[in-house]
Amino acid sequence: MEFPLTFSDISLWLAVTAIVLLITAELISPYYGLTNLEIDRKKLRNIALTMGMLFLGTVAIRIYSIITQT
Amino acid sequence: MPEEKTNRLRQRTLNRAIASSLVSLGIVSLLVASTYSSSTLAFIGLSLTFWGALLLYVTPSKQVSIELLEATTMSGAANMEKLLESMETSFKGVYLPPRFLKDFDSSLIYVPFTEDQHLPLPEEVKEEKLFSKNPNGLFLTPPGMDLSKLMEKKLETSFTRMNLEELLQRLPKPLVEDLEIAQDVNTQIEGNSITIEITDNALKNLCTETRKLPKLHKTVGCPLSSALACALAKSTGKPVTIENEEEIQEKKTTKILYHIKED
Repeated sequence: MEFPLTFSDISLWLAVTAIVLLITAELISPYYGLTNLEIDRKKLRNIALTMGMLFLGTVAIRIYSIITQT
Repeated sequence: MPEEKTNRLRQRTLNRAIASSLVSLGIVSLLVASTYSSSTLAFIGLSLTFWGALLLYVTPSKQVSIELLEATTMSGAANMEKLLESMETSFKGVYLPPRFLKDFDSSLIYVPFTEDQHLPLPEEVKEEKLFSKNPNGLFLTPPGMDLSKLMEKKLETSFTRMNLEELLQRLPKPLVEDLEIAQDVNTQIEGNSITIEITDNALKNLCTETRKLPKLHKTVGCPLSSALACALAKSTGKPVTIENEEEIQEKKTTKILYHIKED
């Protein structure tokens, strides 16, 4: 039993999720009363930023590994 | 209204059920993906788990609709209007600064019964009575007092610890970013007058309803302008009155003019 995703796969997934979340957090309506799904915009924005930071972290690890290999 | 509430509750339960199903399905997908080494299934599982957990987390637990808020506030406002009508006073209420009060964190409005009255002595105010005898007047709790306290909580400080410039500079944070009751806030000082312009005010309907209660509107103001008056009185340490409050339809702006009285 082995997890099938590589480090690059996770990095790509983080990037796509972060972009989707950041766009959603910026476009979402602040008037909760008019929507069926109530969302706390601040929490969503924080998660989006965290995902973005995690993606940048994976990029930094990749760059570090490339530098140390050469 | 009860039917709307039931629908809302049903919708919320359904949303939570969908989110929980997403998490469960995601975990199952991840387990299957690990067993059969399928990267596609792993991506699907990871996404389902993440979005399911996200939907559970980002749903606010204590959200009420603006209609419900308006409905619960207006009866209190109507009572205040009745009280002012029975006292036959139509003079502007004065938001008292903290040094007049027993509790520095609270706020109080003094409504004079005759024109050009001096303010009551702090000792009389601190007795926490409804009526003042010397001079004759009425003490009321501002309708925006709790909103101003909430703004203080969001700013993590008291308005009494800020000077006027700092207050006006920091005002957009609680109104626009934290409480999201406005799109933009502009302020302007001219001598003893302060103008605050609030764009796309979420409490606009509440203010419109308050305008239908003329005595209350003239004496105390709507909850938002009252909250800002409380903040100004605390910050300046001087009595404050709401001189004018108008709705500019074209700009979607509420313009409030305050006057800081010299005691």
